[in-house]
Amino acid sequence: MPGTYLPSNYLPVFIFLVVAIAFGLGALLIGAIFRIRRPYKEKLMPYESGIDPVGEPRVRFSIRFYIIAMLFVVFDVEAIFLYPWAVVFDKIGLYAFVEMVIFIFILLVGYLYAWKKEAFTWE
Amino acid sequence: MVEFFFGFFAIMILFCSVMVVMSRNAIHSVLWMLVMFFHVAGVYLMLNAEFLAATQIIVYAGAILVLFLFVIMLLNLREEMNIEQLIDGWPAGLSLAVAMLVVLILALGSFSVKPWGQWSIEVVEKTTQTKALGKVLYTEYLLPFEIASLVLLVAIIGAVVLAKKKLKS
Amino acid sequence: MVPLHWYLWLGSLVFCIGMFGFLTRRNVIIMFLSIELMLNGVNISLVALSHYMQDLRGQVLTLFVIAVAAAEAAIGLAIVIALFRNKPTTHLDEIKEMKG
Repeated sequence: MPGTYLPSNYLPVFIFLVVAIAFGLGALLIGAIFRIRRPYKEKLMPYESGIDPVGEPRVRFSIRFYIIAMLFVVFDVEAIFLYPWAVVFDKIGLYAFVEMVIFIFILLVGYLYAWKKEAFTWE
Repeated sequence: MVEFFFGFFAIMILFCSVMVVMSRNAIHSVLWMLVMFFHVAGVYLMLNAEFLAATQIIVYAGAILVLFLFVIMLLNLREEMNIEQLIDGWPAGLSLAVAMLVVLILALGSFSVKPWGQWSIEVVEKTTQTKALGKVLYTEYLLPFEIASLVLLVAIIGAVVLAKKKLKS
Repeated sequence: MVPLHWYLWLGSLVFCIGMFGFLTRRNVIIMFLSIELMLNGVNISLVALSHYMQDLRGQVLTLFVIAVAAAEAAIGLAIVIALFRNKPTTHLDEIKEMKG
């Protein structure tokens, strides 16, 4: 009956999450209660006894990271479409096979284009 | 019990959505969005859509938000945090959004559905949701599926064309 | 017992929060995040309808929405990078070169 459904298979996952969150918060809380608070500025530095940091902490990343991440997103979605296909492949057979070949072929064109444009080379 | 879970997920989703919109720092927005996506995945689980819950986490939280974080690190902006986050005319935007909400809720009031499909909870659980989804997707939705590959192709080509220029210099 | 309308209201609320963010923020990245919020509001409604109508078509549609959202994020952020190359800002009001 929709509206009263609860995924009982996921009860272990739920218990795991509750225990994990309780453990994390509890450890922080107990630490906050019992530790001695004596803050001074040097404690906040990345290397407390090292050399003083110079310049911006956030360096600008290279744009090549973006292209790699973008290709990862696109092929991640492709992988998501492959999952249900692989599960029902034995039921639908050749029909599904042809469908998926066309799908992968179209994405392969994009892959070859990115390759041709040297999106993968790291100069 | 069901009401409790729904209430928890709904409150967390709404709170995180508001924080996404109101954060001054874009990185904080992305991290609130991450929390919100996990709770949306929880709602999907409650609606017996475990494959979509996994997809939500893998694609949205694992790929799209990483892309957003990359772009924020790529741009590396500091001065954005010092300006006001909303434009001056924000009451106009708020009233438009509230008006949209009122219209939606009034429209939903005259809306009733009854279960008329064949995929009841028992059937879906027996065939497993991934399999059921695959059956519908690869028989009824052949053309949209192939068009989705075209959309992804456009994404690859467009992003490579737009982002590639800098590599030459 | 959670009626269908609770899910639909939740979806509408998320959609409207996203709409508010899109209309009132001028940081390009947060505007994109607002679009993702709107898409998520629609997705919640679709999955809820699919569950209550015992029909999987809404869930299939959600899968396509996720695919389109991925493509949209990839291209949109590439445009942000291309804009950033001309002018180092993500504040949309600063980008006026396309004005006639």
